[in-house]
Amino acid sequence: MKNKKKYIEIFTKSLSIDTKKFNEKIKYNDVPEWDSIGHMTLMSELEDGFDISIDTDDIIEFSSFKKGIQILKKYKVD
Amino acid sequence: MNIEKNIKLWSSLGMRATFGLIAMELSKKYPDLMITTSDVSTSAGLDRYKNKYPEKFVDVGIAEQNLIGISAGLSSEGFKVISTTFAPFQTLRCCEQIKVNLGYMKNKICMVGLASGLVLGNLGFTHCCIEDIGVLRSIPNISIVVPSDPLELFKVLSGAINYKDSVYIRLTAGSNTRIVNSKDYKFEIGKAIEILPGKDVAIIGCGNILGECLEAASILKEKKIQCSIVNMHTIKPIDKEKIKNIAKNNKLIVTVEEHNVIGGLGTSVAEVMSSDRNNCKLVRLGINDFYSSGGSYEYLKNIYGLSVEKIIQTVLSNL
Repeated sequence: MKNKKKYIEIFTKSLSIDTKKFNEKIKYNDVPEWDSIGHMTLMSELEDGFDISIDTDDIIEFSSFKKGIQILKKYKVD
Repeated sequence: MNIEKNIKLWSSLGMRATFGLIAMELSKKYPDLMITTSDVSTSAGLDRYKNKYPEKFVDVGIAEQNLIGISAGLSSEGFKVISTTFAPFQTLRCCEQIKVNLGYMKNKICMVGLASGLVLGNLGFTHCCIEDIGVLRSIPNISIVVPSDPLELFKVLSGAINYKDSVYIRLTAGSNTRIVNSKDYKFEIGKAIEILPGKDVAIIGCGNILGECLEAASILKEKKIQCSIVNMHTIKPIDKEKIKNIAKNNKLIVTVEEHNVIGGLGTSVAEVMSSDRNNCKLVRLGINDFYSSGGSYEYLKNIYGLSVEKIIQTVLSNL
């Protein structure tokens, strides 16, 4: 993924996750910051950062950092 | 959207984030949709909506009386309007504006009360909301719907946006809500749904507390007691025919609600039953008309007798 650095940056910043705590195995609800409301903020920041519009089904399925990489590929964020 | 495939994931998102998602879906369908808030875009999962449609999003600040006034004004100009903030501020703080602008003048808006009931108990009873149904039920021209889970919220909002009256949509529970509806189904405002058939006792509930009711029914089934569970999602207009029918066919009805026992679901059921001939006992479970100190959601549900164990105990001691 060419945009991985940017993805991680948006991910940690929008969820206010300490970069020391972050690892790529992180899943929804693993940390208190990634709760349902944090999830919607993350989606909003990803849409802004990559200039895309994420479908509702994909927002629901966005259940982990890794799953996010797969989903972003659908929007040509590689 | 593939609703059935994603029911578990919808449920993990909870009501508020689901509301934000649905707002985006509705905005595609209704170009004249306006959403108004009192400083809660993030808490309502509306950040995406605010960013994408800044011209269709009005944040009035922490000024809930203005929230209703501005929303009613937009409605009178032909917009479809959804207003939202935390339930006590969406209802009690602006009660007179709701009465005059919505009830009396019949401007139609959908009011979404976030985090009603006891879920914000850690912030104390200033942020809990156990009175909203009782207060709004006495105002004409306003309907009241309490979705049981995120899937039902999707159906409620889609129905409410084109409903004839203003609708108050009362959201309960936090994220990771219990799944009440495990598959897709037909929803209509004012039509209760039997989600579990049974012949010994009828449990009527509304909101996500129906998850506790389903768990209690499952345990009671092991004791050879078959409970029917009825999702009375619409408190006003209440499904009178369904209640009369349940009262005719059961010896015991237990109502369960995350609201004061005065003025809410149990009261509405009692009003219908008292105007009809039946031989059925009614027991109302809910907050028994007192304020406690604050506490976690689970703690408060326990002290107010809204736990699975209390529901079971109530059924056993009244059968």
